[in-house]
Amino acid sequence: MNDVTTARVELPDAATTKALGAALARELRAGDLVILTGDLGAGKTTFTQGLGAALGVRGQVASPTFIVAREHPPLPREDGTTGPGLVHVDAYRLGGLDELEALDLDSSLEDSVTVVEWGRGLAETLTEDRLEIDLVRPRGLTDEQGSDGVPVEGTDQDPAGLEDAETGVRHATLRGLGARWAGVDLQAIVVAART
Amino acid sequence: MASGDPLVLGIETSCDETGVALVRGDELLVDATASSMDEHARYGGIIPEVASRAHLEAMIPTISKALGEADVDLSEVDAIAVTAGPGLVGPLTIGTSAAKALAIGLNKPLYGVNHVVGHAAVDQLVDGPFPDRVMALVVSGGHSSLLLVDDIATDVTELGSTLDDAAGEAFDKVGRLLGLPYPGGPHIDRLAREGDPTAIRFPRGLTAAKDQAKHAYDFSFSGLKTAVARWVEACQDSGREVPVADVAASFAEAVVDVLTAKTIAACRLHDVETLVIGGGFSANSQLREMAAKRCAEAGIDLRIPPIRYCTDNGAMIAALGSAVVRAGVAPSNLDIGVDSSMSLTTVTV
Repeated sequence: MNDVTTARVELPDAATTKALGAALARELRAGDLVILTGDLGAGKTTFTQGLGAALGVRGQVASPTFIVAREHPPLPREDGTTGPGLVHVDAYRLGGLDELEALDLDSSLEDSVTVVEWGRGLAETLTEDRLEIDLVRPRGLTDEQGSDGVPVEGTDQDPAGLEDAETGVRHATLRGLGARWAGVDLQAIVVAART
Repeated sequence: MASGDPLVLGIETSCDETGVALVRGDELLVDATASSMDEHARYGGIIPEVASRAHLEAMIPTISKALGEADVDLSEVDAIAVTAGPGLVGPLTIGTSAAKALAIGLNKPLYGVNHVVGHAAVDQLVDGPFPDRVMALVVSGGHSSLLLVDDIATDVTELGSTLDDAAGEAFDKVGRLLGLPYPGGPHIDRLAREGDPTAIRFPRGLTAAKDQAKHAYDFSFSGLKTAVARWVEACQDSGREVPVADVAASFAEAVVDVLTAKTIAACRLHDVETLVIGGGFSANSQLREMAAKRCAEAGIDLRIPPIRYCTDNGAMIAALGSAVVRAGVAPSNLDIGVDSSMSLTTVTV
């Protein structure tokens, strides 16, 4: 199967990045794999925070870098049922996603939504069904900050717009691969994130 | 030696250090450590499988070394304390397995304890018993947490922690983008000494008025990391040489400013007069200087153990184990598991 569906969306601030994670969470089910790609500061953890909150999982969704994989078990919903848990992985130091099994996670990937940061090139060994999301942040201090992009030293002011460096516009590209994502309306997900 | 107190063997394996120590009361008899850090440095971070294997190979030699140096026979040990979390699952499993084997073989009680609380407890070996209420700031590659400690063995409250990157992790990531070797912390600290900490006003995460209600004592270093990345990029794009020392000093200043300001505010709010800082990041010189200055101004007694007790070690686990045993806490079951993201209010399992 080589079905590919794609969608692109502009994320003007961190709240919208979280909203995209939340909108996607409503589509996700146990066993799904999401691969996040983007530079330091692109919003990978922010996105996953929104996803985890909407999924309804326990624990603070923070950077998984130090412990490589952090497990968030599902919280019971109001109707008493539970959805999938979240396994949040930083694959920066993994040789392949098959090494996830060597991490001795309590939750099985079949029962969870797995979100992998820095996972491009590693996921192929695990499954051909996956959703790849590229997050791109602005480079330097140009554009939205209204700065000329030249850093300023020796001042207590914030002419370079550093306070807003985190909230600059990001762009996300969603790409669904394999039978799982064939026919899934990714465009509807990104529209939901913006409304 | 306070011979009336039980002799506690502590085992720590939450990350890349295999630590074994013996503590009686608040007295440290021996602290032995084996590290696999050199093996991880070339990968730019801890590799879980490499760490697990290194713990497995180092465990028995490190226990033997500790016993030999203290001239203690295993049969003299009264209790076994071991890190049950938080940390890396594989390494934690090696440590708890060794501890369970010892507990069963010696027929002595097992205490699974919290690694982060251990970072605070170790100070009692250096600076003596805690007063009734202390604040503990634990900062490392994996943790940035503010703990209100009413009883180190039974009553610890987590006031706040990082919402994204830990302090030491932010240093590693900024080190990476400045082209420095892993781990970034010591390299940035060294460079920062030659730089101007006021050169660049980097953002202070979660200090705005709107964050006070919900996140007064939480930390966020992700936005700061992004700001540093974009500032450096702007510098590169404009053709200027990146003033690495000034960036390092200004970045560290932003981290340390937030850590100390929030911690002192928490001490005031909770009427705490003693602050303990632990964890590997407490080796940072700017943190030590600013904490000393601000604690002096606020009339707070600052306790930071020597650096060898701030990084991961067996002494912290033996120290916490000793406190737990003396407090009469029930031993752990022999079938305890490990918890990679153990709640910081859980002192023992």
